[in-house]
Amino acid sequence: MTAPVSAPPPSAGPVLALRHISKSFGMTRALSDMSLSLFPGEVHAVVGENGAGKSTMIKIMTGVHQPSSGTLEVDGVALRLSGTKDARQAGIAAIYQEPMVFPDLDVAENIFISATGLGLVQNRAALRSRARSLIDRIGMTLDVDRIAAGLTLAEQQAVEIARALSQDVRVLIMDEPTASLSDHEATQLRQIARTLSGQGVAVVYISHRLEEIFDVADRVTVIRDGQHISTRPVAEVTPDGMIGEMVGREVGNYFTKAPSHTRPEVMLSVQNLGCADAFEGISLDLHAGEVLCMAGLVGARRTDVALSLFGIQPATSGQVAWLGQPFHATSPAQAIEAGIAYVSEDRRKLGLALPMAIRANITLATLNAILSRLGLIDRAAEQGIAESFRKRLNIRTPDVETSVGMLSGGNQQKVMLAKWLEMRPRLLIFDEPTRGIDVGAKAEVHDLIRTFVKEGGAALVISSDLPEVLALGDRILVMREGRQMGILDHDDATQETVMRLATGATSLKGAA
Amino acid sequence: MLGRLSPQTLRILALLVVLALVLAFFASQVPNYFNARLFNRISSSVAIMALIATAQTLVILTRNIDLSIGSVVGFTAFATGNLVAGSPDIHPLVLVVYAMLVGAGFGLINGVIVAYARVPSIIVTLATMAIFRSALVEYSDAKSITSSQLPQWLVQFPNTSLFEVGGVQFRAAFVTAVIVVLIVHVALNRLRPARRLYAVGSNPEAAEMAGINLRLTVLSAFVMAGALAGLAGFMFLARFGNITVVAGLGFELKSVAAAVVGGVNIFGGSGTVLGALIGAILVDLIDTSLVRWALVSEFWREAVLGALILTAVAVDAILMRRLIRMRIAREKERLASMPQKEAAE
Amino acid sequence: MTHFAKLGLAATLMMGTATAALAEAHAMTLEGGMETNMVLLPKFLGILVFDQANEGAQEAHAELGNPGELLFVGPTPENSVAGQIEIMTTAATQGQGAVMLSNNAGDQIAPSAEAAQAAGVQVVTWDSPIPSGAGESVFVAQVDFGSIGVVMADMAHSILGGSGQMAVLSATPDAANQNAWIAAMEEALAGDAKYADIELVDVVYGDDQAEVSYNRALALVDSHPDLGLIMSPTTVGIQAAAKAMQDEGLCDQVKVSGLGLPSEMVSYTMNGCAPEFALWDFRDLGYLTYYTAYGLATGQLTGDMGETFTAGRMGAYTIEEDPGRPGSKRILMGPFTVYTADNVEAAAQ
Repeated sequence: MTAPVSAPPPSAGPVLALRHISKSFGMTRALSDMSLSLFPGEVHAVVGENGAGKSTMIKIMTGVHQPSSGTLEVDGVALRLSGTKDARQAGIAAIYQEPMVFPDLDVAENIFISATGLGLVQNRAALRSRARSLIDRIGMTLDVDRIAAGLTLAEQQAVEIARALSQDVRVLIMDEPTASLSDHEATQLRQIARTLSGQGVAVVYISHRLEEIFDVADRVTVIRDGQHISTRPVAEVTPDGMIGEMVGREVGNYFTKAPSHTRPEVMLSVQNLGCADAFEGISLDLHAGEVLCMAGLVGARRTDVALSLFGIQPATSGQVAWLGQPFHATSPAQAIEAGIAYVSEDRRKLGLALPMAIRANITLATLNAILSRLGLIDRAAEQGIAESFRKRLNIRTPDVETSVGMLSGGNQQKVMLAKWLEMRPRLLIFDEPTRGIDVGAKAEVHDLIRTFVKEGGAALVISSDLPEVLALGDRILVMREGRQMGILDHDDATQETVMRLATGATSLKGAA
Repeated sequence: MLGRLSPQTLRILALLVVLALVLAFFASQVPNYFNARLFNRISSSVAIMALIATAQTLVILTRNIDLSIGSVVGFTAFATGNLVAGSPDIHPLVLVVYAMLVGAGFGLINGVIVAYARVPSIIVTLATMAIFRSALVEYSDAKSITSSQLPQWLVQFPNTSLFEVGGVQFRAAFVTAVIVVLIVHVALNRLRPARRLYAVGSNPEAAEMAGINLRLTVLSAFVMAGALAGLAGFMFLARFGNITVVAGLGFELKSVAAAVVGGVNIFGGSGTVLGALIGAILVDLIDTSLVRWALVSEFWREAVLGALILTAVAVDAILMRRLIRMRIAREKERLASMPQKEAAE
Repeated sequence: MTHFAKLGLAATLMMGTATAALAEAHAMTLEGGMETNMVLLPKFLGILVFDQANEGAQEAHAELGNPGELLFVGPTPENSVAGQIEIMTTAATQGQGAVMLSNNAGDQIAPSAEAAQAAGVQVVTWDSPIPSGAGESVFVAQVDFGSIGVVMADMAHSILGGSGQMAVLSATPDAANQNAWIAAMEEALAGDAKYADIELVDVVYGDDQAEVSYNRALALVDSHPDLGLIMSPTTVGIQAAAKAMQDEGLCDQVKVSGLGLPSEMVSYTMNGCAPEFALWDFRDLGYLTYYTAYGLATGQLTGDMGETFTAGRMGAYTIEEDPGRPGSKRILMGPFTVYTADNVEAAAQ
C-alpha cells in the first residue's frame, strides 16, 4: 500500500520526525520502518487497533524505549533520547490513558513534581496559585490541596494534563486522554488540544472515539501491525475508510442494535436500593436474556451500584431479590457463590494479576474445580480451560503461559472476561467493558455479551460510550449524581434523550 | 476547625490522643507513675530512638526498609569511641561529622546494592545487618570501649540539662534529637527534592515517567539514613560509654516499629518524621512503663509490648478514620455552600 | 593484674582449696609437645572477658608446646545459639581434638556436642556448662556456683549495712550460669539469719546489652522507691547500672554491686557508686581450661572422677562431681576476688 502524503505542512520543518524506525522486543517486532512527521501547530491523530504499535511509538518518542534502527529528529537534528528526562528537555511530554499520579501527594505537588527552576525551597503559596491557574485552564474545579488518592479518574487525568502543561511542551502526546472522561470533559479537553496547537504546539492525539478524531484532528495517521498505513488531512478521511484501513477488514455491525433475547422471567429485582453517601432510590427488574445498560456522566455513581450488588460496598437501604429470593451480599464471595460476576473497570487494580500467566489468571477464581484427587492443581485441565478460552475469545497471544502484563488492553480485557465466564455466572456486571480498546475488539466483546444473554444469563453493563449503550442495551437506566433518572426502552432511546437525563436537563416525567 | 487540617496534622493529633490514653492507662496501674523522672527517662532514651526512627522513615518512604540500621549504630558508636579514645583533643564537631560519614558510608553500600543492583532492600539489609555486625566484631578485635576512655565533655553531654521546667529537665541529647527531627521534618515538607522520596514510594512507575531519577532517590535515602544512624551512634556512645559488639542490637526492629506506629506507611509514599518521633516516644513509653507494671512478669513483657503496640496502631487507625470522615463531611458542607459548577461532576 | 589480694571468703571456697591441697600429693604432670588441634568457643565474640580467657589459653598453648593449632572462634552476638551449634558441628567433622565451650545455647547444644564426642572430640565446658551435662566431658567451673551466691549475699549485706531492699539485674532470662548464681544467692539469703532484713524485691534482665541494662536499672529505681542496691551478676549489666546511677545522680541512694571487670568499674568504685564487686580471673580460667582439654585430647587424662593433675603455674586440680548437677563432672578453679576502693585501681592497670 502506498502512503498518501499529506497536504498542509507549512514552510517550517517538522518539530519531531520519526525516520524509518523499527523496534523489536525479542522475537516480536512492534514497529517496522515507521516514519512520521509532526509540525508545529497541528493536531495529529494516530489511530490503529490495539497492538498496532501506537504505544511503542509513543514510548520511543518519550525516550522510554530506544529504536532498534532508524532515527528520531527534533528540529531536523537526529537525537538519541535515553530517558523521559531527555524527552522532556527536548520539549516532548505525554499523558496516558491510565493516569500517572502520586496518590500520597496533593494536587499541586503532583503537578509540579518534575518541574525545574522553582528553587530548592518549596513556596507553597506560589505553587498553589500556579496549580490553580493550570487547573482553571482545563476548566476543572479541583482543590489543589487535596491528596491525589481520593481523586476520580477524571480528576487524576486533569492533574496529569496540568502537569504536562506546566512543562514547556512543544510536542504533547495525548494517549487516549478522553477514555475515562465524560463527554463534557472530553469536549473541554479537545478544546485544550486546539488551544495548545494554536500556540504552536504539535499535539499527537490518540483515541478510539472516532467522532473525536473528526472533531479535533488536522491530520490522521493510520497504523496497523507496526507499520505506517496512511497519513491524510482529516477532510480527506471518512469513518468507514479509516476503520477499513485500521482493521484491514470489514467491521461487523458495531453501531446496529442486535435483536433482543429478553425472556419474561425476572432474575434480579432491585427495590429502592441505597447506600449511604453514594446513591439512593435505585429500582430495576432485570430479566433473563436481557442487557440493561447503565448510562450517566462521570460521578453518576453507577459503579457504586454495581459494587453494592457485588457485596464490596453493601447497600444500606432497600431490597434486592435474586432468582426470587431476598438477597443481601456483604462480600464478593457471597455474590460469586450466588452466580453474580463483576468485571471491573480498572483492570490493573481489581481485575488481573499482571505478572501471572494467562492460564493462572483465568482459573484464579475457580481453582477448586480443577483440583485433582490429591488436592493438587490439575495442570492439564487448567491448560485445557485456558486454551479453550483463548480460542473462544480470540485472545491474541503466542500461548497461555504468557504473562497478562505483556498483552494489549483489549486482550487483557478478554482474559478478565474469561476469568469470570469460567465461573459460569448467571448475572454479569460489566463496568466499562470496552474502555480503551479498539473497534475490532469492541465488536468482539459485544458479541460475547450477546452470546452470554442468549444462553439465558442477564447482563448489567455500565458504559460511558453512548453509541455502545444504544447498540447494546435492551433497556437503558440513566443515573445522575447517585439518583436514578429513568429507564428508557431501547426504541425510545437516542443519544439526545439519554444525555438530557444524564445532565439533568430533564427527568423522565418532565420529558413525557 | 478540623476541616482545615491536613491529613498529616490529623495523624499527629490522633497519635497524641493515643499517647495520652497510654499515659492514662499506666497512671491508673502504676502507683506514683507521673513524675519528672518519667519525662527524663523517656526523653533520654528517645533521643537515640528518634534519630533511628527518622532514618528508618526516610528509607520506608521510598518503599524500602533498612534492617542494618542497628549494626550501623553499633559500628559508628565503636568507631567514634575508638577515634576519640585515641585522640581525646579532637574537636567535638569533627567527631560528629566523622560519625555521620561512617554511617553514610554504610548507607552508601546498602543504597548502591538496592538501587543499582536492584536487589530487594529487605534481602540486602538483612545480609548487611549481619555483615556490618561481623565487621564490627573484626574491627573491635573483641575489645570494648569504656567510658573511662572517653573525654569528660562527651560523657557529660547527653545529660547536661539545658533548661528545666518544674523538675522536668530538657537535656542536651533530647533537645538535639528533637531539633534534628524538626529539621528533617521541615526539609521533607519544604524542600522540593525531598518530595521525590514521597513520589518514588507513592508510585514508582509514575515517578519514572515524571523524569525522577529513581535510583538516585533511593540511594540518597539510604545514605541520609546512614548518616542519621551514624549520628545516633555518636549519641549512643555519649550516653552509654560502654560499647561492646552488641551495641545497637535490635534497633532495626524498634526503628521500624516506631515508624509504623507513627503512621509511616510500610508500603512507602506517606508518613512524617514527626509522626515517627511520636511513634518512638510511644514505643519507648510502653516499653519503660511495662517494666514498672507489676502485673506483667518478665517473660510476658515482650508479648505484652507487642500486643500494646498493635492496640496503639489499631486505635490510631480508627481515630484517623473518624477524623477523616469528619473532615470529608466538612468539605462537603463547604462545597455545598459554594456556587455550583454544574459541569465539573 | 597480678598483685591484687585474694580473699578466701566463704566456707565452700576454702573447702575447694583444701581439696586442691590434698590432691597435690599424687597429682599427675601433663607431658607437653603432643599434637592436638583445639577450638576455644566463647558465648560470642566481642566481650572483653572472653578475650581474656583466650589470652590464658594461648599462654597454656605456648607453655605446653603443642604443635597443633588453637583456634579462637565464636558466633556473632545476634546469632549466638545457632552459631555455637554450627561451630560445634563443624569441629566434629574437622576432627578437632577438643572444643572448649562457654555454653550460651542451653541444652540445645547437647545433640551436636554428643555427636562431637562420638567423633572423638573432647567437649570441655568453661564459664557456663551444658545444664543437663549431656555431651560434656567435664566443666571447668570458675568458682563454686554456691559460693558465688554467698559472695553476692555478703556484698549486699556489707553495702546495705545489714538491712534494705535489693534487686537483681541479670543477663538473659535463659542464661544458665546467671540463673544458677541468682538461685544460689536466694538460697544463701534464706539460709542465714543475718540476711533476714535484706529483701530481694525484683529480678530483671538486660540481655547483656548496654542500653537495655541501663534502662532496666533506671526502671528498677522508679518501681521501687526504697531500693538500696542493684546486684548485677554480669559484667555488662553492672557497668550499665553504675553508669545509669551516676548519670542520674542516684549513687547516694542506690548502690551497684555484682560481678564486674576492674578496668570497667574502677571509676564507679572510686566515686562510691559501686563500692564492692567481685570477679575471678578469666585469664586463669582460659589457662586451666586449656590444660584440662589438652590432657583429655592427648589421652593423658581419662576424665574419670577423682583424677588429679597439675595445671602449670596454677597448681593441682581434681575432677569431681558437680554439686549443682549430680552425675556431671567439674573441675573447680577458684578463688574469687572481691574488689573495693583499696585494690581496684591496681587491678585496673
